Amino acid sequence: MIWPAVAGSAAVTYLVRVVAFEVALPARVPRSVARYVDALPAAIIAALVGPTILVHGRSVTAGPELVAAAAVIAIVAWRRNLLAGVLAGVAVVALLRLVLSS
Amino acid sequence: MLVSVLVIGIPFGIVARQAGLAPLEIVAMSLFVFAGASQFAMVQLFRDGAGVPLVVATALLINLRHLLMAAALRPSFGGLSATRRAAAAFVLTDEAFAMAVGWFRRGRTELGYYLTFAVALYVVWNIATVIGLAVGPAIGDPRRFGVDFAITATFIAIVVLGVRRRSDVAVALAAALMASALAAAGASVVAVVAAGVLAPLVALATRDEGGA
Repeated sequence: MIWPAVAGSAAVTYLVRVVAFEVALPARVPRSVARYVDALPAAIIAALVGPTILVHGRSVTAGPELVAAAAVIAIVAWRRNLLAGVLAGVAVVALLRLVLSS
Repeated sequence: MLVSVLVIGIPFGIVARQAGLAPLEIVAMSLFVFAGASQFAMVQLFRDGAGVPLVVATALLINLRHLLMAAALRPSFGGLSATRRAAAAFVLTDEAFAMAVGWFRRGRTELGYYLTFAVALYVVWNIATVIGLAVGPAIGDPRRFGVDFAITATFIAIVVLGVRRRSDVAVALAAALMASALAAAGASVVAVVAAGVLAPLVALATRDEGGA
């Protein structure tokens, strides 16, 4: 399942990169479309990560993950540093799980 | 910029390894797909057990912006040979695009600089991937010390680093909340991705007070 998905993704990714080099787009792209396309990557990743933070089984619940997620957001927004955010997030989750389980 | 690629590439290798992908599969993603955001999304989709069509469609949607970038660069790249143009397209990334736009705006026309820079990004991205996947298993087993959360935290950081306008925050929150509601209701991964596809409409509905 992984190899066909990687091959397919590589093919479509190359396609979107090469097609406008080879042929001119038939019309000017409206600003709204450009804005939409530009916002897609972060939106799709946010959608994929949201449930891993908020959903436990069949319910939306606040747990250690939500607190840790807030810590990651705050630190990355402040320091623009991925590693610092990830380390802080892992530390917060580990600490809260320890406290909550004891 | 090469350093920032290293800083994202290493976590990619680590996360992909922690998610249970084989080293060869991870290397192939960086060699042939070579698009950071979509590679992270693919890792999460593999974790969620998504099917091939969904993975490919997601990669297409995430990388659709390259079509517009290539269209913008097309006038400057018309003089290249077919082979060089094909190579220039293969290494087109957000970073290479930003560099090229700045370069041409200053009145430069040589394309060798773009190609060298874009290829350097490609090499560094792949080296970073290999470093990450080599380091990954050394970090320890997931669940222990909250290491499992490192994957989630990396994804959050990727989204936060991508925020440039105020409406980006609204889009990310809308996507995460919509997807969570759907997932809690028992919806499939397809619906979760659909939430991400719908969320940017929020950006179109709001005036961009954050400035573009």
